[in-house]
Amino acid sequence: MNKLIAFAVTAAFAAPAMSQQQPPIWHQGKPPAQAESKLAPHAGKMTETPASEIPIDKLKLPAGFKAEIWASGLPGGRAMAISEDGKKVYLGTRVIGRVYEVTDAGDKRTVRVVVDKLTQPAGVAMKDGNLYVFAIDKVLRFDGIAKDSDVKPVDMTAKFDLPKEQHHNWKYVAFGPDGKLYVPFGAPCNICEPPSKEYAQIRRYNADGSGKEVIATGVRNSVGFDWHPKTKEMWFTDHGRDWAGDDGPQDELNRLAKPGNNYGFPYCHANGIADPDIKKADACKGVTRPAALMGSHAAVMGVKFYTGKMFPAEYQNTMFLVRKGSWNRTKPNGFDVVNVRVGQDGKATYKPFATGFNQGSESYNFWGRPAYVQQMPDGAMLLSDEQTGAIYRISYQRPKAAAKKQ
Amino acid sequence: MLTAFFSVVVFSQEKTQLCAACHGPDGNSPDPKIPSIAGQPKLFIETQLVLIREELRKSEQMLPIVRGMKDPEIIKLADHFSKLPSKGMETGAADPALLQRGSQKAKELRCGICHTADFGGQKQVPRLAAQREAYLEAEMRAYRDGKRSGGDTIMAATLYGVSDADIRALAHFLARSKAPTGLR
Repeated sequence: MNKLIAFAVTAAFAAPAMSQQQPPIWHQGKPPAQAESKLAPHAGKMTETPASEIPIDKLKLPAGFKAEIWASGLPGGRAMAISEDGKKVYLGTRVIGRVYEVTDAGDKRTVRVVVDKLTQPAGVAMKDGNLYVFAIDKVLRFDGIAKDSDVKPVDMTAKFDLPKEQHHNWKYVAFGPDGKLYVPFGAPCNICEPPSKEYAQIRRYNADGSGKEVIATGVRNSVGFDWHPKTKEMWFTDHGRDWAGDDGPQDELNRLAKPGNNYGFPYCHANGIADPDIKKADACKGVTRPAALMGSHAAVMGVKFYTGKMFPAEYQNTMFLVRKGSWNRTKPNGFDVVNVRVGQDGKATYKPFATGFNQGSESYNFWGRPAYVQQMPDGAMLLSDEQTGAIYRISYQRPKAAAKKQ
Repeated sequence: MLTAFFSVVVFSQEKTQLCAACHGPDGNSPDPKIPSIAGQPKLFIETQLVLIREELRKSEQMLPIVRGMKDPEIIKLADHFSKLPSKGMETGAADPALLQRGSQKAKELRCGICHTADFGGQKQVPRLAAQREAYLEAEMRAYRDGKRSGGDTIMAATLYGVSDADIRALAHFLARSKAPTGLR
C-alpha cells in the first residue's frame, strides 16, 4: 500500500494526465488508517480584528516581561522587515495578497497597504533602504520606500527563476551577513519526489538576483532563518511532513555549517526517520541531522537571534523561535514562542517563552497563531500574529528589587 | 443594547436589500446561476467578500458592490446571512443515474471531510447541500481550470483532472442534497 501511495504521488507529478488520483496536496500521503480523519488546516481570518477583541492578557511570559498590542488591523500579517531607523515595519501576508507598512509615531501606529492583489506575498526583506517583496510568482523591489511612500516598484521577477508550482512556495526571505539574499523553495507537496530539482532547497542570490547558488537541499518547507551573531552560521526552521501520525516526524531547527548540506527530504526526516512512503536504500546516508527537534506538527516559523540590550543578559545570542501551532495532530502542539540555546556540542535545547495562544492542551481552542519575531532598536521584540492580524511588543523591565541592588 | 440592535437593523436594510435583489429575499437564490447565501458559515461569507473586494476572486457583478467595503460591514453581512435558514429551491427533476454518479464521486473525492457529512459546510468551507446547480457546476469548473482560487489551492487540487461529466453529476447530486438546518 505504501508503495502505491508513493507511486500515485510520484506519478501525479511526473505525468499530469495521470493525476486524477492526486488528492488535495495537504491530503497527500494520508494512510488508510487516517482516511476518515477530520483534521484539516485551520481557517485563517481575512478581516480586521479590533484590538479590543484580542485577549492579550492570556499571553504568558517569564517574570519581568510584558506584552502589549503594538499594532492591529493587519489581517494575515506574517514576516516582518524593519526600516533602518526602526520607524517602519513591513509585513507580508499569504491569502489576502497584501504587504502592509506600519509606521511608528511613538504613542501610536498607522497602517497602510503598500501593494495588494499579489499571490501570497509572504516574503519581505530590507536592504540599503530598499524593500524586497517576494510573492509566489513575483519579486518586487521598492527603492527608498521608507522615505518615498509613493515609489513605484521595480519588477525583478525574471532574475529569480521562480518555479511554477505554488504549494509551499510562499516565501520567507532575508539578507545574510554576506549581503546575499536567501530564498527558500519548498516541496510542492506534503510528501513526494519533487517534480524537478528546483524544489525542496534554499538558494542565495546577489541583491540584484544574479549569482544564484543552491546552498541547502532536502529542505521540505523552511519559512524562517537567521544567522548566529558570532559564528555567522545560518540557522533555519523546517516543517516536518504530515499524515505520519500524531507523533510523526518532528519539525526541525537546522544549522547550516557549510553550503551544500542535504537535510533529507523526502527520504529522511527529523533525527533519522526513513519516510514510510518515499523509500530508498540508506535513506538517511549523508543527511545532516537537525540541531534540535521542535515537536510534531508544531509549525516552526520565524527564528531570530537576540542581540538587544533590553532583555536580561542570559538571552544574548539565543534564539527566539515561533511555533504557529499544529493542525495535523489530534491534540494541539506549538502555539507559542520558545527560547533556544545552543550547547557546546552544537545541539540546541529550548524552553517555553510566550505561551497561552491555545487555551488548554487537550483540544484546539486558540485565539491567536504567532508567526514571526523582529527585534526593535530599543531591544524590545515584536511578535506578529497571523490569526488576529496584530503585532505585539514584548518588553522587559528589571524587577524593582533587582534594579535597586545595581 | 437597544442602540446596538437598531444600528444593525438600520445597516442591514439597505445593504441586505441589495444582496436580496440577486441572492433572494431570504438569501435562498431564485436563479440557478446565482448562489444561495442563507445559512452559509459566517467565516465563509466573510472570506469570500474579502477575496472579491481584493479582486483575488473575480466577480464583475459583485465587485462594484463590495469595492471599498469596510471589514466591520462585511462581518455584519456575514453574520446576518449565516443566521438565515437555508432551504432547497426548485431544481427540476432528478436523474437517478446522475444522482448516483455524483454521490459516488463525492465519496471518492472525500468532499464530506471538509464540507461536513451533510455538506452543510463549516468555518471557511461553504455549504454545498441545496446550493444552486448551475452555480455549483460553473464554480467547480472554474476551480479545476485555474480560474478561481479559494483561501488556498485545495479545491483546485481536488478537482484537478475531474471530467466535465463528473462535475455535472456532482452539481446535480449536491443541489438535491437536503438543506441542512442549524447555525454553522
